[in-house]
Amino acid sequence: MKVLVLNCGSSSIKFQLLEMTTEEAIVKGIVEKIGLKGSFLKSERNDGDKVKLEGEILDHQTGIEYILGVLLSEEHGAIKTLDEIKAVGHRVAHGGEHFKDSALLTKEAIAKIEECAELAPLHNPANLKGIYAIESLIPQVKQVGVFDTSFHQTMPEYAYMYGIPQALYEKYGIRRYGFHGTSHRFVAEQTCEMLNIKMEESKIITCHLGNGASVAAINNGESVDTSMGFTPLEGLIMGTRSGDLDVGAFMFIMEKEEIGLRSGNTLVNKHSGMVGLSGISSDMRTIEEAAEAGDKRCINALKTYDYRVKKYIGSYTAAMNGLDVLIFTGGIGENADTTRRGVASDLEYLGIKLDHSKNDGLRGKPTVISTDDSRVKVVVMPTNEELVIAKDTTRIIGEQ
Amino acid sequence: MSEIKIEPIEKYGLSEKAKPKSQFATIGIVGCGNTGQSIALMVASKGIEVVFLELDQNKIDQAFQEITEELDNRINHWGMTEGDKRSILSRIKGTLDYADFKNCDLVIESILSRTREASRDIRKEVFKNIEKHVSEHAIIATNSTTLVITELASELKNKDRCISLHVSTTAPMASTIEIVKGLHTTNEVCEDVRKFAKLIGKTPIHVQESPGLITARLFVSLISEACDVLMERVADMESIDFSMKNGLGLPLGPFEMADKIGLDRVIRWMDNLYEEFGDQKYKSPPFLKRLVRAGYLGRKTHKGSYEYDEHGKKLNTTILDANIHN
Repeated sequence: MKVLVLNCGSSSIKFQLLEMTTEEAIVKGIVEKIGLKGSFLKSERNDGDKVKLEGEILDHQTGIEYILGVLLSEEHGAIKTLDEIKAVGHRVAHGGEHFKDSALLTKEAIAKIEECAELAPLHNPANLKGIYAIESLIPQVKQVGVFDTSFHQTMPEYAYMYGIPQALYEKYGIRRYGFHGTSHRFVAEQTCEMLNIKMEESKIITCHLGNGASVAAINNGESVDTSMGFTPLEGLIMGTRSGDLDVGAFMFIMEKEEIGLRSGNTLVNKHSGMVGLSGISSDMRTIEEAAEAGDKRCINALKTYDYRVKKYIGSYTAAMNGLDVLIFTGGIGENADTTRRGVASDLEYLGIKLDHSKNDGLRGKPTVISTDDSRVKVVVMPTNEELVIAKDTTRIIGEQ
Repeated sequence: MSEIKIEPIEKYGLSEKAKPKSQFATIGIVGCGNTGQSIALMVASKGIEVVFLELDQNKIDQAFQEITEELDNRINHWGMTEGDKRSILSRIKGTLDYADFKNCDLVIESILSRTREASRDIRKEVFKNIEKHVSEHAIIATNSTTLVITELASELKNKDRCISLHVSTTAPMASTIEIVKGLHTTNEVCEDVRKFAKLIGKTPIHVQESPGLITARLFVSLISEACDVLMERVADMESIDFSMKNGLGLPLGPFEMADKIGLDRVIRWMDNLYEEFGDQKYKSPPFLKRLVRAGYLGRKTHKGSYEYDEHGKKLNTTILDANIHN
C-alpha cells in the first residue's frame, strides 16, 4: 500500500511516496519557489535516479499536479496509475484544541483547520492549499491531517496556561500549544523500542534541535509539557528565533527602536537566536567553526544555546519527578556532538552521565551515548516526520 | 551516486488543460521617484517582478541607490533580513525603453510633473507609449490622485483597460489602494486590479472618479486649515502637530505629514483641486509655497516644515525656528 505525504509551506512542497509494507520511501522530493521566478521540482527515487524539473510552477495546485506527473512518469516515477496512491497524509501546523489526534480530512475537519488558520497564519493556509489541490486532482483518495500540535494536547491545564487574564484564553485561545509533536512522539517511540522499555511507564525528555527547536516532557507516553508555546517562538534559542524573551524587554526595544509590530515580529523571528547572538550565521556548523577559531561572540552564543536546553531538561525533570531517557534529535541534535556534550555534561546530579567516547563524532545514528552506569539513558535518535505522517495516515484510514 | 538530470517541467503536467497563468507576474512602473520606488518595493517584496522606466541612466542608478538605502534602513530597523533584500532587488529592473514593458500585466504611471497642464499632457503621452508596447490584455493605470483617468485614457485605442489606482505610500503601514473606475473602464479590469491589490496585501477601496479621491482631498483641507491656524498665531507648529497626534490620535501631525508626502506634491494636489473645483479652501497656502520656492520640500530635502537629519529623522527645530536663529 502506497501513501503520499505532503508538507506544504508558503512557497514549497515537500513530498514522499512511501510503501507502507516496508515503511520505505520510494520517491521523495521538493517543489520550491512556487509562484516565484526560478521555480523547480527536485525528485529522487530510491534506486538513485535524480531529476530536477525546471519551469513555471505558479501555485500549489500546479506544484502537486507536477508531483503526481513525476510519480506517474516512466522515467522518474514509481506508479502506473493514481489509484495506486491509497491515501494522502498532510502535515498540518496547527490543530488548535480541536485535534487531539491525526484526523481524516472530512469537510468538517477541513473547516476546523480553516478556523485554526488564525492561530498559524503562515502555515495553515499553505497546508490547506495542498489539501484543496488533492481534493480537486484526485477526489477519490482519502486524506489525513497530521498536526504538529496534537501530541501536546495531553498537557495539563497548569502547564499550558499563561499567567494572563483567563478571558484572553476564552476569547482567542491564547495558551501554550507546542509544536514538533510528530517528531517528539516518533523519536520517543523509536527509542523505547530500541531500549526495549515501555513508553507508558517511562519519563522521557526529547530535544528536537533543528533550525526550529523544542524540548518535550513525555511522562508515561503523554506529552506533559513542551517549550514552544502559542507560537513556535517560545522556548529554546533557535537559528533565527529568540526563544524565551521578557515581553517587557520586547516592548522596550520596540519603543527605543521606534518599530511597529511587523518589524518587531521580524526582529524576534528572523534576526534573533543564533544569528543574532553570533552575528555571523544561523548555521550551527559555521558558528562552531568560528568558535574554534576563537570568535568570542560565537563561543558565548554556543554556551547560551546549550545552557537554555539544559535549563529545560532540569525543569522538565522536576515536572515529571524524575527522568529515565533523554533523547536528541533534529539536524543539530543528531549531528552536533559538541552541542550534545554542552547540554548533557555536568548533569550527574540528575543521573545523566555522558559517555564521550560514544558521543564524540557520532552523526545521525540511533545510539545510546550515556555510560553503562548512567541512571538516565541518553540517546541519539534520527527523526522521520514523513514516516510518522504516513503511519498515522494508514492507521486513520484503517479505522474507517 | 548518479548524476542529477535537468529537464523542463512542462511534459510532466497531468493534463493539457490550460495552466492557471499568474495574472500579475510582472508589473511596469513609469517614473521611479519616491512614490514609484515605494510601489516597486511593495510589489517586489510580494514576489512579483518589477520593471521601472526612467528618463536617463542616472535616474535609474539613483532610484536603485535610494531603494537600496530604504532596504538597508529596514534591515537596520529589524524589518527584514539581508536575504529578503537580495531577493527583492533581484526582482527589480530599470530601463529606458518602453519596449521592456512588453511582458507586463499591469503598468502604473507614477511620474512627477510641475504644473497641471504639463502633467496632463505628459501623462497622456506616457499612456500612449505604454499602449504601443504592452499586450492587449495589459492594464494601464495612473497613480495620480488629482487627474481623472477618463481624461488620461481619452486618446488611447483601448480605453477600457485604463484605471486609476492610487497606492498610499505615506505611512509605512498604509494598507489601502484607492481604485477609480473611469468612464470606459470595464468591470473585469476593476476586478483584476482589486485582485492585484489583495495580492500585494492591500485593501482595495472603490472610489468614484473625482479629483483628489479620499486621502488627498481630505488631507489638503487639513493642511490648509493648519496653515491658517499657524498664520493666525493660534498656536505654533509643534503645538498644532502635537495636538493632532495626541488629541486626535493621528500618527503624524499635519505639518509632519505634509513633509512626509512632499510639500511640492501637496501644493500640486491643491492647485489641481483648486482648478477643478474653484473652491478657495483648496488654494495653496502662501506659507507652504514659500517653503517650496526655497527648495524646502520636506523629508526628502531634509528641510520642510521641520528639519531632518540624513536618515529622515525629525530634528527638534521647525523651519520657523531655524529662520529665526539664522
